Amino acid sequence: MHRIWDHGGAVTVRDIFEELRGERSIAYTTVMSTMDNLHRKGWLARERDGKAYRYTAVASREEYSARLMREAMAEAGDTEAVLSHFVAQMDGAESAALRAVLAKLAGRP
Amino acid sequence: MITALALLGYAACAAWCAPVLLAPLTRRGVSVRAGLAAWLTAMASVLASAVVAIQFSFRTAAADWPRLTQALCRSVAGGACTPQIYRGALYEGGVTVLAIVTTAAAAAALWRYGHRVQRSRRQTRAHAEAARMVGRALAGGTGAGGTAAPGNEAPATRALARRQAQTVVLDDPRPAAYCVAGRPAAIVLTSGALAVLDQPQLSAVLAHERAHLAHGDHLLRALTQGLAAAFPGVPLFTRATAEVARLTEMSADDAAARANGRPALVAALLAIATGTAVSSTGIQGASVPGGALAAATHAVPDRVERLLRPSSSARSALFATALALALTLLAAAPPLLTILA
Repeated sequence: MHRIWDHGGAVTVRDIFEELRGERSIAYTTVMSTMDNLHRKGWLARERDGKAYRYTAVASREEYSARLMREAMAEAGDTEAVLSHFVAQMDGAESAALRAVLAKLAGRP
Repeated sequence: MITALALLGYAACAAWCAPVLLAPLTRRGVSVRAGLAAWLTAMASVLASAVVAIQFSFRTAAADWPRLTQALCRSVAGGACTPQIYRGALYEGGVTVLAIVTTAAAAAALWRYGHRVQRSRRQTRAHAEAARMVGRALAGGTGAGGTAAPGNEAPATRALARRQAQTVVLDDPRPAAYCVAGRPAAIVLTSGALAVLDQPQLSAVLAHERAHLAHGDHLLRALTQGLAAAFPGVPLFTRATAEVARLTEMSADDAAARANGRPALVAALLAIATGTAVSSTGIQGASVPGGALAAATHAVPDRVERLLRPSSSARSALFATALALALTLLAAAPPLLTILA
């Protein structure tokens, strides 16, 4: 997935395979089935170009990242994913109380 | 019939009274394990007595029908309609209505529970998968976890959680850290969080999240959230969702504090909560001025206070005893009622 995002545009299985073969030994079919899986899971869109498919990312990395953060930050919203936050969202009074503790600790000799 | 009504009455009473009783005992997290056990027992006790009540009302209804129909037939044939037969019919009708209504309510609750848990699991898995796909691998990999001293949980589960969980970084200025269960699970840190944490603090955060995954806290959270969705507006279940979440945070805090020390953990909590870098050395031996955090209702200030001011062993013993008492009461009530009534 990272390879495809780095490419920017549409890629074929052949493009990715050639690129990966330079770094490690990998079978063409492995790349093909991986990309097919990603298409099936909704990460890649594809269109037929002659005999091969040309794959494009459905959304950019930044878009996915923003979507994840929206989901993570608005726990009370429409998402029902179980996320265990290290620090949950706080209201103004609570973070003010914490800042006060922080100031006290910092002010200690 | 009496048994069914007694059990239903107890279930309703416990569902409304138990939160009032348990919340003050578990709020400060003095005895985390006993607190979790007490909340889970309260929920199990209410559910079990409701199920047994339904079963009893059915049994009564089924047992009385033959006698009643016999009496009705005789009265139709002989024309002798005594008030006794009417009373019997009325009583029988009441039991049957009770059995049908409670069963329908139970079926609806079960459906809501299943629906909620399934949807939540699907979204959680999807979130974990997307996070693993989109996030960058944390520089230094899981090396930060190497400093973790073995806690008191089984080494096998710890090793498993560490091998499975994948730590990723998402680019976002807001500091945040969380874990999300999946296959494999993901621990997500934002670049904003990395910016305000030093290495020991980062280890503490990771130890906290790994403890969540190793303890299976997401399953508890899914269970309580599902029950709260199944019985909307019932105080026990809505309250238990919040309190169980608090207690699991505190339990993960304990694991992280054992592994990386309290100062690093407190500094990490404050750093992520306020978005400013905090020096762990300032926390060493610090004590919170009494009442500084008293106004706060949220778990984070409570957790900080709890870590900075560990309660005395006498206090812990007192709370543990009180919770054990409450637990025994809740566990014993349904069977006692069944036998007595």
